[in-house]
Amino acid sequence: MPNQTADMVRVTIDGMVVSVPKGTLVIEAARRVGVMIPHFCYHPKLKPDANCRMCLVEVEKMPKLQTACSTPVAEGMSIKTATTVVNDAHKSVLEFILANHPLDCPVCDQGGRCDLQDFSHQYTPTTSRFAETKRIFQKEYFSPLIETQMNRCVQCLRCVRYCDEVMDVKALAPVGRGTMTEIKHFGAHALDCEFCGGCVQICPVGAITSRLSMYEYRPWMLKRADTICGYCGDGCQITVQTKNNQLIEVNSAQGAGRNNGDLCAKGFFGFHATSHPERLTHPLIRRNGALVQATWEEALEFIAAQASRIKQDHGGQAFGGLITSRCTNEELYLFQKFLRLAIGTNNIDSSARYGHMNAVQAMQRVQGTHRWSVTFEDLAAADVLLLVGTNITETNPITGLKIKEAVKKRQAALITIESLQPAVGTISNIANLSEHHFCVAPAQITAAVLGLLKAVVEQGQIDKDLTQRHPQYVTAVTARLQSLSWPEIQAATGMDVAAYVAAAKALAGGKRVVAVAGQGLLRGERGYAGTMNLFDLLLLTGKLDQPGCGLAPLTEENNDQGAIEMGAAAEFLPGPSTITDRAGRDRIANLWKEEPPPNHGASLVEMLDRARAGILKAMFIVGENPLASLPATVRVGESLTKLDLLVCQELFLTETAALAHVVLPVCSSLEKDGTFTNTEGHVQAVRRTVEPAGECCPDWEIFSALSGLMGTPLEYGESREILKEIRSLIPGYGSLGPSPVPTKVERAAIDRYLAQGFESDLAGRYQLTAAVSQPDGTVQVSLVQSLFHSGKLSTRAKGLLQIEERGYLRINPQDAARFSLADGNRVRLSNARGEMTTDVKVVDRVPEGQAWFPNHFSQDLNRLFDCVIDPDTKVPSIRAASVSMVKVS
Amino acid sequence: MPKYELVLLKNMMQPGYTGSLKDYEQTGGYQALRNTLGKVAPTDVTGKVMKSGLRGRGGAGFPTGVKWGFLPKDYQGPRYLCCNADESEPGTFKDRQLMERDPHQVLEGIVLACYAIGAQSAYIYIRGEMVLGSKILEQAIGEARAAGYIGKNILGTGITVDVWVHRGAGAYICGEETALLESLEGKRGLPRVKPPFPATHGLYNKPTVVNNVETLANLPHILTRGPEWFAGIGSPPKSTGTRVFCVSGHVKRPGNYELPMGVTVRELVYEHAGGMRSDKPLKAFIPGGASAPFLTPDHLDVKLDFESVAAAGSMLGSGGVTVMEEGTSMVWAALRLMEFFYHESCGKCSPCREGSSWLVQTMRRIIAKRGQIQDLETLTDLCKNIAGRTVCAFGDAEVSPIMSTLKHWRHEYITLIHEAESANLIRPESTGARH
Amino acid sequence: MLKDKYKDEIAEILSRYPVKRSALIPLLYLAQREQGYITEASMTEIAGLLRLTPSQVYETATFYTMLNLKKVGKFHIQVCKSLMCALVGSDTVIGWMKNKLGITPGETTADGLFTLTAVECLAACGTAPMMQINDDYYERLTEEKVDRILADLKTNGTCPLKSGPYLWPEPANAVKRET
Ligand SMILES: Cc1cc2nc3c(=O)[nH]c(=O)nc-3n(C[C@H](O)[C@H](O)[C@H](O)COP(=O)(O)O)c2cc1C
Ligand code: SF4
Ligand code: FES
Repeated sequence: MPNQTADMVRVTIDGMVVSVPKGTLVIEAARRVGVMIPHFCYHPKLKPDANCRMCLVEVEKMPKLQTACSTPVAEGMSIKTATTVVNDAHKSVLEFILANHPLDCPVCDQGGRCDLQDFSHQYTPTTSRFAETKRIFQKEYFSPLIETQMNRCVQCLRCVRYCDEVMDVKALAPVGRGTMTEIKHFGAHALDCEFCGGCVQICPVGAITSRLSMYEYRPWMLKRADTICGYCGDGCQITVQTKNNQLIEVNSAQGAGRNNGDLCAKGFFGFHATSHPERLTHPLIRRNGALVQATWEEALEFIAAQASRIKQDHGGQAFGGLITSRCTNEELYLFQKFLRLAIGTNNIDSSARYGHMNAVQAMQRVQGTHRWSVTFEDLAAADVLLLVGTNITETNPITGLKIKEAVKKRQAALITIESLQPAVGTISNIANLSEHHFCVAPAQITAAVLGLLKAVVEQGQIDKDLTQRHPQYVTAVTARLQSLSWPEIQAATGMDVAAYVAAAKALAGGKRVVAVAGQGLLRGERGYAGTMNLFDLLLLTGKLDQPGCGLAPLTEENNDQGAIEMGAAAEFLPGPSTITDRAGRDRIANLWKEEPPPNHGASLVEMLDRARAGILKAMFIVGENPLASLPATVRVGESLTKLDLLVCQELFLTETAALAHVVLPVCSSLEKDGTFTNTEGHVQAVRRTVEPAGECCPDWEIFSALSGLMGTPLEYGESREILKEIRSLIPGYGSLGPSPVPTKVERAAIDRYLAQGFESDLAGRYQLTAAVSQPDGTVQVSLVQSLFHSGKLSTRAKGLLQIEERGYLRINPQDAARFSLADGNRVRLSNARGEMTTDVKVVDRVPEGQAWFPNHFSQDLNRLFDCVIDPDTKVPSIRAASVSMVKVS
Repeated sequence: MPKYELVLLKNMMQPGYTGSLKDYEQTGGYQALRNTLGKVAPTDVTGKVMKSGLRGRGGAGFPTGVKWGFLPKDYQGPRYLCCNADESEPGTFKDRQLMERDPHQVLEGIVLACYAIGAQSAYIYIRGEMVLGSKILEQAIGEARAAGYIGKNILGTGITVDVWVHRGAGAYICGEETALLESLEGKRGLPRVKPPFPATHGLYNKPTVVNNVETLANLPHILTRGPEWFAGIGSPPKSTGTRVFCVSGHVKRPGNYELPMGVTVRELVYEHAGGMRSDKPLKAFIPGGASAPFLTPDHLDVKLDFESVAAAGSMLGSGGVTVMEEGTSMVWAALRLMEFFYHESCGKCSPCREGSSWLVQTMRRIIAKRGQIQDLETLTDLCKNIAGRTVCAFGDAEVSPIMSTLKHWRHEYITLIHEAESANLIRPESTGARH
Repeated sequence: MLKDKYKDEIAEILSRYPVKRSALIPLLYLAQREQGYITEASMTEIAGLLRLTPSQVYETATFYTMLNLKKVGKFHIQVCKSLMCALVGSDTVIGWMKNKLGITPGETTADGLFTLTAVECLAACGTAPMMQINDDYYERLTEEKVDRILADLKTNGTCPLKSGPYLWPEPANAVKRET
């Protein structure tokens, strides 16, 4: 504990005495006593720049006025913010700032929430003394999503500083000098950046605004509601603003949510998926081979009748259910309850299997819990961060900001094992901030982890206490590692011993060490093994159970964590507890008044196999589109068409829904209430911000209605009642407060693992994957997340489509040269499984020999992939394939 | 004409002196370095410089030894010296001569300063336009490196000092020490908010000293001849040593004159610079570069040292003395300088950025006889609202031409405005209402 | 590409600084020397060399008056117009230039030879009026001198009247250092 009193100073502000931590800026100290000092350039996220000079205050014993935004408090300081001198100074600075301002408030989207307007009002300058010609900047087209009006700019540079300091994108440039300084971007083309919307949000005036909502509103016409973004696992709080039930804009208030007010392009510009004209608005029933409009009664009764018949004839095991982890916890919970209780099957799966199951299984096995033992705050406060296969900017942009904060603001040491080259581009690149970067092929990420482990062992960095308490673990792991040779590791990963030694030293020397595992690892063929090895790394260095330390696997979809915890998986009951766990079963039986089915359920691929074999007869597919997202080898279409009953709940008529017998239109996350659990395990409220489109209804209402029709009524008045039930199973769920208290690792579980639990698969996971030779004319293509899309929903958001409207194959410049390719050229990719054509983009960060394709545009590419299923966790891995590439004219 | 011993300009005034290493060594060059490095403790070097009373020649006049003393004692990482050769203050052209004519004198000073502060790298930030100066310096660095005065293990002492020339690219503000550092880091030359000061967070956030060329050129002499000798020159105790005064404007012999601090303006102008160009009376002068307020013939006997000039309401600044004869329009002169400041405002601070354009436009209007009497009040207000309210001293500097001419020659403004008013009676189309 | 043509020079420039970005202005000068002005392509290339975004290069490049983002004439005439020069006739010099070249400040002659700019103080106030043409200073200008300079530049591309190293007062037998 730091000495409280030594780190606090007492200052007087306008006569009020306040104690604040040393180093607090005067402007922040003043805010604590309710004194708002006017400012433009100050922003709590940014380093003080003190350029606007608006925040001048009197500080006793200082001859000149001081800027409150850059002056740290000192013991005994006395500050006056409301004297005549200070007021005159504020007035005068405002007069300067207004001198060249166009005063076009009537046509400015910021009007009504503009700092300049507010301060002008506060200081009521009567008439302008500025009688000269106002400066005029040439209007320039900036970008399809962001509008600039430089005549309104007050040159506070908050946008530029945010783009650099927080985002690390550095797309904005103050150009020119003196009064002619204007904010621009480089090049004769439109702005090309992360489109996080940060510049729009942080501009105190109307100089940078969103084009998506241009001229559509005045701020006071908007109705606001806070909810959680539905795109990725970061779980950002957003404020949705509507006018007459029309979505107008989304932003996030400074300091709000786990994202602290920061957003990515999806959160800021992606909200139009909900108002897309192709939304399903009525139930559809297949009649005479075609899907035709039906009423809800017709549709539900049809399903209930069919389902009851199949259940009667074939039993519950003839059913399967697949749900997207984009649903709310309440929906996920009710879905599995419906299947387990009303239908009687454990054949349940969700999209959380792809991205999260490996991690959950590993966490359960090693630390006895199934969620993070750290928080975002711990990431930002870490002194050593290890990123493994995260590609974090693209996949979890806001978690990425916490990493950037740790590195840029607090000088944390960053170790990265990524299939990513350090290179500057239009979006930020975490490898650029890395101190120890291991650029490896996706298949060799686990090999690099082994290299780190080997270095730890050989450098004698094993925790002393561990060696004493669990010698057999240490000996076994050490022996395994010794059997791996450095030349082999070097051959697999392309990195030499010295690099591993240096990184291992940094890792072992850290006090607050967090390892972050991403999709590159978790979804890979050896995702589970690699995660286990990462745990070994933290255990050997004695970090895992230390405060501020832990393993943080990143979830991809917004509610992957919730899906597992709600039991939307064959092997997990809500809690989650394993399907065979006696205590868990009893708890549930107690609540449900009936035992969940005893037998092991099938995962998605197993369900599809059974359907093809005619054993599984009916499927409920909620918000998932396996036909488009699984590779051809899985033969999804063949399986689904064999079903007697396929029910799809969807926002759009997807490829899968088009095969259904019944399609039910459901709400998007902006149209319903509930909770999402983000990647760090924080449960957050989702609120209805617009009325549902057409006749859409929330997924849970459908499960509830069907269960009633099938004679096992699961009745709830509103989703809160479901949450209440969830809480009786998982005490406290959803009321974790403003920042989550992370679950502590279970010491007993760790001891169990160290005593024996580690043994079962040790040989398998301490093995190197042979480096695949890369024949001439081929590249290793892998599916990746793109920053601008998440799943298929985002591809219906017009804002995001303006940034990225289709998939491009991103290749490295060397490969481009090797294949004589340039931006925009077309290539044919082929392998034994099939072929596809696409356009290429040359991107420096792609490692040589590799090619990236965004997975939300991957329908055609999926043909080329194989699907490997992890025997332990049933996770299908479909991420990489070797393909030959030829240019087509 | 009183004769004084030259210090900084002495070598170059020798007939045939080229500034080559050989010439410099022949006049005793690099002896201070030989006698100091590894022989006198760095802290003692700083002590001697403190004792000499040497104050910065770049403008602010901060005691050099004291500045060095601010560097953290126990800091282990790299430290830097930056030689401020940006010389952009209108009316100042001394550093140019010191660098072009006797580069080794500057280099010796740089190595000595590096030794005192424990820096292994020094950058000479020279204004971009001085291409010749940068070439001469680079050549001299080459010579000094070859002779073992610069580089690794200087003269076998184990001490390393590397020196590089870094050219600016046209921005007056880069003479301001923190803007200089930003510029040297490859950024826009915007002054930094202080504190922290360069002494702790300078170049690349490392402890750094920024010293002017002339300041550094004094060091070999102080170390060779002793701080007492230096402290005996000029107006001790506060203004010691010589200054290279740059005389420009309406004098017969404009140029650089190295004189002890404390000579009067009268002596400088009438004795050394040959008096007024057309023998018209002197109307006004600026004693220390464009940033220094104008003074009048009443101030001709003011001594050119830091305190006396400050007491007269101006500042010694960079030592650029610009002289104006009777008949010069003071409003015009102030506008010319204001245009300079408007052009050079970096744009960081609102008052300076917006104020400079406002001031220029108002002044132009007054000169164009479209002024109004309330403009004078506005000018005064704007100046007051800029001064003291900006990140760097540019804000204070830019208002001094207008403030001081309004103070001493307000009637010239009023005359222009009256002319404007009477002109408007005849030519109504040119009223000030065009805005 | 600069990096092919000036490989060694670029390496030498980079070697001077512990932090790459410091090499930005020197590299921009290099690009300007190569093409007479700084193109978008060269800014992009320099960004790549220094691991900066092109915007970071751009913001720096536009801050400094000596870095031209637009084409200028073969001889860039910059006449100082600050007070010290103005006191002794710099406006007259600009007037001569206008007459002789037929262009006003900011313009380039039709043959692309001369660009005229009126600039702020160049630290040669003791030898005013003065001007800089490309790398060279020309001081104590008179009309005859200006004529000779323009003529020489047109015919020879250089002119012996360029000044420096600066010395005042000039001793009787001062020697010029060769550079
Ligand atoms: C706007 C402005 C411009 C300046 N220009 C110069 C300059 O061109 N040369 C210089 O040596 N100092 C200049 N200075 C002063 C420097 O900031 C700094 O005080 C000086 O380099 C310190 O060196 P010294 O202590 O040796 O004088 C300037 C200051 C300001 C505020
Ligand atoms: S997509 Fe993820 S990072 Fe982006 S705003 Fe939504 S939750 Fe935040
Ligand atoms: S808020 Fe302090 S100077 Fe802008």
